[in-house]
Amino acid sequence: MDDIDDILASVSRPQTSQRALDLQALTRGWINERASPDLLPYPSSLLDRVMERLKKQIEAIEEMTGTMDPKSNFTLVITQTELERFKFLVRSLLRARIVKIDKFPLHYRSLVSERPDLLSTVEQQYLTSHQALLSNHFNASFLQHFPQSLRRLDDTAGGNGMVDKPDEDTAVFCRVLRDVVQPIEVHGEVGANEVELKRGDVWVLRWSSIRDLVKTGDVEMV
Amino acid sequence: MYGEQGNKLVVDAKRTQNLPHLPPYATTQVRAVTKEVRDLDREVNTLLAPYTSTSSQASDGTPIKSSSFNPADDPATACNLLVNHLSMRRNKRCLLSYHKTRTDKLEEMAWAGIEGGPAFTSTPSSQGQQTRGSGGSTAESLSAEEEQYMHAYGNLLAAFKGQWTDIDLTGSLDPPKDVFVDVRVLKDAGEIQTEYGSINLTKNSQFFVRLVDVEGLIRMGYLQQLS
Repeated sequence: MDDIDDILASVSRPQTSQRALDLQALTRGWINERASPDLLPYPSSLLDRVMERLKKQIEAIEEMTGTMDPKSNFTLVITQTELERFKFLVRSLLRARIVKIDKFPLHYRSLVSERPDLLSTVEQQYLTSHQALLSNHFNASFLQHFPQSLRRLDDTAGGNGMVDKPDEDTAVFCRVLRDVVQPIEVHGEVGANEVELKRGDVWVLRWSSIRDLVKTGDVEMV
Repeated sequence: MYGEQGNKLVVDAKRTQNLPHLPPYATTQVRAVTKEVRDLDREVNTLLAPYTSTSSQASDGTPIKSSSFNPADDPATACNLLVNHLSMRRNKRCLLSYHKTRTDKLEEMAWAGIEGGPAFTSTPSSQGQQTRGSGGSTAESLSAEEEQYMHAYGNLLAAFKGQWTDIDLTGSLDPPKDVFVDVRVLKDAGEIQTEYGSINLTKNSQFFVRLVDVEGLIRMGYLQQLS
């Protein structure tokens, strides 16, 4: 009976279209990205689908304005509003990512090789060229006059690392979407403690303790 | 000496963060700090000279310096060296943060679309009346390196944006409310083409137009959005 439980569940669940699911995923991804201190993996397949649909909609709008049919005017306004909202979501998501990439460039550059899904190709190119530009600029402005040993930009010697990292222990607000079987450990002033995450709960927790749950989609940020 | 000059740069950078425009590049300050680093480095080398012996040669021909200096034998020199080293590192950090603050500011301008494109590459005389608002003063307060950087970053940003033409990455970051808005023309902006035909934007006229068509003009101050 166990085997067919999830099959039954998927049949009895109301059918939601891929488009609605994508919108939900995009909104959730956007909120997660904006609220989390660390960069989340780049949602490439989702964004590809959304962009594809945006392109179709722009074409549809152009066609509708071309015919100038008074009946289609109302639909046109609605479609355009929807288009603008989608564009805003994608734009805001991408900009939030760029801000984080620019804030901790060296940290993410070192991560790219082990986690290729973290950045899109375009973002990687941006990161590399931006860093090249910056180091060129610093070199031309003053570093070229420095003694050789002090010219590096990613120096970690001297007890004061130059590679900045996102604060993984910062507190974030999150909502539990699915029950989490494994209780998570939290470290407070009084020592370690365990928290059980139940669906619908809202918590303030350290980013480091829920990071993986956000990535699997068990928990979302608020 | 010992980081005093660098501190001025940091204070300057701190001030820059809250200014709407970029203050002039502190060329003399930057030179002074760089010179201080070189002086300190020379002093370190002089101090270490008696202890250093170029004993062997590396494979590429540069001599490998081996130092026989033992801090425990001569605490005074060791302390001197340490202070010099720390001052050099501190100066480097000061310079870096000063320049980073300024480049951040420049990037912000590039994203906001007020870099003015050719205003930064052309000579001040040829800009003439094209320069808008603070554009002219910004160009003058940049160092040559910063101008180059600004130009290069503008290109990088344009290339990055080019991958997302449908989205317009530099567009407004406020959630959209209306597709159509009322705008008043503050400055003559000429004729623009929209999907509904062309509109002639003459001063003091008012239009009901699609927001995406005029967003850039609103940001540049040609149009005012009426709520």
